[in-house]
Amino acid sequence: MKLLVIEDDESLREIMTRALRAEGYIVETAATLFSAQDKIAGYNYECILLDIMLPDGSGLQLLRHIKELGKGDRVIIISARDSIDDKVEGLELGADDYLAKPFYMAELLARIRSVLRRGNASVNKVMTAGNISLDVHSRRASIGGNDIPLLKKEFDILLYFLQRPNHIVDKAVLAEAVWGDHVDMADNFSFVYAQVKNLRKKLTEAGATVNIKAVYGFGYKLTESDETNI
Amino acid sequence: MRLIYKLASRLALILLPIVTLWAVIFYYTMVEEINDESDDSLVEYAELIIRKQLAGVPLPPPNNGSNNSYSIELIENRGDVEPSMTFHDEMVYIPEQDDTEPARVLTTIFMDDSDNMYKLTVAMPTFERDDLLSAIFWHIIVLYAVLVISTLLVATLIFYNSMRPLYALLAWLDRYVPGRKIEPIPDSSVVEFHKLSMAARLAMSRAEEHFGRQKQFIDNASHELQTPLAVIGNRLEWLVDNTSLTEEQYMEISKIQHTLGSIVRLNRTLLLLTKIDNGQFPESAPVDMVALLKSEAEIYSDIYSDRNVALHMQLPHSYVVGMNDSLARTLVTNLLKNAYQHSSSGAAVRVTLMNRELRVYNNGQTALDGSRIFERFYHSGNSNSTGLGLALVHSICRYYGFAVTYSFMNGEHCFCVRFQSIIAKSNS
Repeated sequence: MKLLVIEDDESLREIMTRALRAEGYIVETAATLFSAQDKIAGYNYECILLDIMLPDGSGLQLLRHIKELGKGDRVIIISARDSIDDKVEGLELGADDYLAKPFYMAELLARIRSVLRRGNASVNKVMTAGNISLDVHSRRASIGGNDIPLLKKEFDILLYFLQRPNHIVDKAVLAEAVWGDHVDMADNFSFVYAQVKNLRKKLTEAGATVNIKAVYGFGYKLTESDETNI
Repeated sequence: MRLIYKLASRLALILLPIVTLWAVIFYYTMVEEINDESDDSLVEYAELIIRKQLAGVPLPPPNNGSNNSYSIELIENRGDVEPSMTFHDEMVYIPEQDDTEPARVLTTIFMDDSDNMYKLTVAMPTFERDDLLSAIFWHIIVLYAVLVISTLLVATLIFYNSMRPLYALLAWLDRYVPGRKIEPIPDSSVVEFHKLSMAARLAMSRAEEHFGRQKQFIDNASHELQTPLAVIGNRLEWLVDNTSLTEEQYMEISKIQHTLGSIVRLNRTLLLLTKIDNGQFPESAPVDMVALLKSEAEIYSDIYSDRNVALHMQLPHSYVVGMNDSLARTLVTNLLKNAYQHSSSGAAVRVTLMNRELRVYNNGQTALDGSRIFERFYHSGNSNSTGLGLALVHSICRYYGFAVTYSFMNGEHCFCVRFQSIIAKSNS
């Protein structure tokens, strides 16, 4: 899987590259519109992460160029400009997704996975981990083939974990992902603890082979357990 | 006070002493003139009588129907005679009318051939001073009234006619809102008004430039911050995810991320405020406020479930407002968030929607500063808030022309949004 990161900020480019390589992607980078055009002309990429504001032009211009070349490269726009106009224009030009800065790396990884999955002919809308599988469309969860009843928030939390297996998830990030901007000013996360506790209980009762581990007071991590859960 | 009232009252005030002075002068001049005339005729009359007396011609009867009267008396004691003519005013008894009338009286002396000295008193009824005075007084009053009314009428007419460019300019100033579409400034060929228009144009272009630059600054600053914020966040994420840390280090990073999260939210909110002020939310659709309120309130009672805040909602079946979907959500979210956030354990939040008014109540001890509560970065002691939530509410309401008010009554804070344009929507 080869990715191209087009980002003019050196520090951000470096940390993105590092995180993507850690996920097993082959990563190339470009800091300007010019060098990006060069790379795109010469190579094929599965997914291009495109910053809109580049020193020598607009990323949208490059996007238009990519689409004119008729390449099948997937494009995720990463923009500091969280405006609906940019988003609409980008998606109309053929971008596959739009992510506003600042973003969580975990979110970016999830988006890349989702875009690449869409790229595969089989549109796979079922997420799995261990013996758990979640049908994103019908919002059904099953463990070892048996449906388990989950509340809306529990399903959202589990889905979020499944998109980020083996990553530590900050409880604040999880809260924001599931409850939206509403958690802005919440002074404690007891509502997150309560939901995760219920979810854990349901998973354990149904004999799931994954475990949501607490990482100190920081957050959680979804791990597949080789040995059976207790 | 309006300029025309000031002008009118001043004109009236100035006219009052002028007319009074004129009345006084007029009265004395009149009296003097009348006295002068009557004195002349008294002298003539006296001469006539003296001449007749000396010539031995029979005198006219003391009363000849003209109300003029005379009397002649012999002066016995010559010592205290003053050989002069004196005039004075006196009340004289007129037998025909059986009444006393004010009269002008001439006293003089004359001597006949036989050296007898006589004193002649001639009286001529004049006018009643009081009558004259009151007549003049009433005439002055009428004159004053007529003068004032006509002066004011003419002044007002001329005033409004020639001040028309000023009022056009004032009306324009009332309509002017920085950053909105600008109508041309009314101009005039009158030098003073032209100067005023020019000054207004200059001030406006300065304000526009300032406003634009300020907006641009917030916009740029917020956008420029996004990338460094992403870098910090992503590097922290990397640390957490890929290195082995002690619990202490995790907790420190958690705190840094928490603070970073506040900055990110602050930045996002500032961008949103700028966008609202720029009018970048043109598309609007019917939004059901009731459904929105219900779903948002549910989320908040979830988030703040540990505080056991009671929620009482008094809502109609549905209430549709035409506005931008995401702004409607932001409006409702921030009102509810504010109410929940400032509720202590066991308190109650009330939401009512009736008569086009959305009211959100929460318990409180003391009233807040209603004049500052919608200002950006106004904190009421809670350091956790961005201080922008209510500023957002205010901006959104201003954008749609909704009235938003704060009040404090019976230990409850109340924020009220009236879904009705106070002014015709003049954006876009």
